[in-house]
Amino acid sequence: MSDHEAMEGSVAAWVLGALDAGEAEDMRVHVEGCASCSQAAVRLRRAAVALPLEVEEISPPARLRERVLVAAAAARSSTLPSAPARKKTVAATPRWKPVATIEVGRFYAAAAAATVLLALLVGLVAGALVGRNSVTPAPPQVARFTLVGHGSLSGARGTIIDLKNDGVTLVDFKGLPALAKGKVYEVWLITPGGRPEAAAVFVPDSNGAKVVLVSMPLSGFAQMAVTAEDGPDGATAPTQPPQLYGALA
Amino acid sequence: MVLAAGNQDALLELYDRYAGLSYAVAMRVLGDPGRAEDAVQEAFLKIWTNAASFDSKKGSLRTWLITAVRNRSIDFLRGRGAHEREELELQPDLAESHRSDPWREVSLSLERAAVREAVGSLPAEQRQAVQLAYFGGYSQAEIADMTKVPLSTVKGRMRLALEKLSSYLQGRGLMDV
Ligand SMILES: [Zn+2]
Repeated sequence: MSDHEAMEGSVAAWVLGALDAGEAEDMRVHVEGCASCSQAAVRLRRAAVALPLEVEEISPPARLRERVLVAAAAARSSTLPSAPARKKTVAATPRWKPVATIEVGRFYAAAAAATVLLALLVGLVAGALVGRNSVTPAPPQVARFTLVGHGSLSGARGTIIDLKNDGVTLVDFKGLPALAKGKVYEVWLITPGGRPEAAAVFVPDSNGAKVVLVSMPLSGFAQMAVTAEDGPDGATAPTQPPQLYGALA
Repeated sequence: MVLAAGNQDALLELYDRYAGLSYAVAMRVLGDPGRAEDAVQEAFLKIWTNAASFDSKKGSLRTWLITAVRNRSIDFLRGRGAHEREELELQPDLAESHRSDPWREVSLSLERAAVREAVGSLPAEQRQAVQLAYFGGYSQAEIADMTKVPLSTVKGRMRLALEKLSSYLQGRGLMDV
């Protein structure tokens, strides 16, 4: 029996991923040199990849969108240290997107978002390191600032991670007191002139922790602050002096 | 939409378009919402970190994404690392030898109705063979064991199923091979 005759019968299994690794490698080598099997593989693969279309769509939980976004932003910052700085196209009105919060305290420790986010939070960010050490410094891609709690929020801390190239910022909050019913924490970005802009609302988990995604660039702002406001949407301006704040420089 | 530029709007557009299908495929394989979320996230992350080589104008992005979701889901299902086995992979010939994605021209719902009809028209044992491979991640030898038929029979069923599916979809103008 020729090689072709032996292999031909398994092309369908191959495109379905149903060969063992060794068999698949043999098939790959054969298909490269066999026009007939190669044609069959292309034709059958197009049928195989249509199989998932039979499935009825299911809307995933809304948090998955944020997980994907954050994982992507973090991965990009850590894997593309020398990418050119993103062209600034911010017009007179800043890019104003609805902000959202993400859950990272999931049980699936291997989940990519948690992993890359953790790497980011402990400072293993290639972009920052490269920017510091190389002969011609690359523009900084990630900046970190700290929010410090005072008064009733004296036990609270926030670490701001500005993913400059992606125009988003992560804020890792810890030690926040539980909120009164119906209240949310609101994140404010404050201009050098002292004008606050609402940037995000969130409710911390039972440990007082939360990673919040701020979907707007920090440029043009001097400070970040946090107040407790009425939920679910927060206020348009702070209704009390902030007790958790820090400078963005 | 050019994902190669690495812009987040492109990623979100892709997500909004295909998250429902991606999640459904992961759920079909895994039957577990938490792991299905992880599989979908990892597939999107894989696209994102390989974005330089993708341009949705080539039309292979959806197929690539759903294939990545399927592969990751099967890994979770069988407790395997991503590199421990043969992946159902999209070969470059598929991505590049066709100017346009045959699927792209037609609305998703039409395509899906056609695929459902085509799969539904297969004899049960042929349908079972391809579904065990695609959604179950079983090898042809495992499928032969499970269904208690000779390996050659499983090979024949898979081949017939995909040939029929292929000609059905071609006949509907959904495949330009
Ligand atoms: Zn051959």
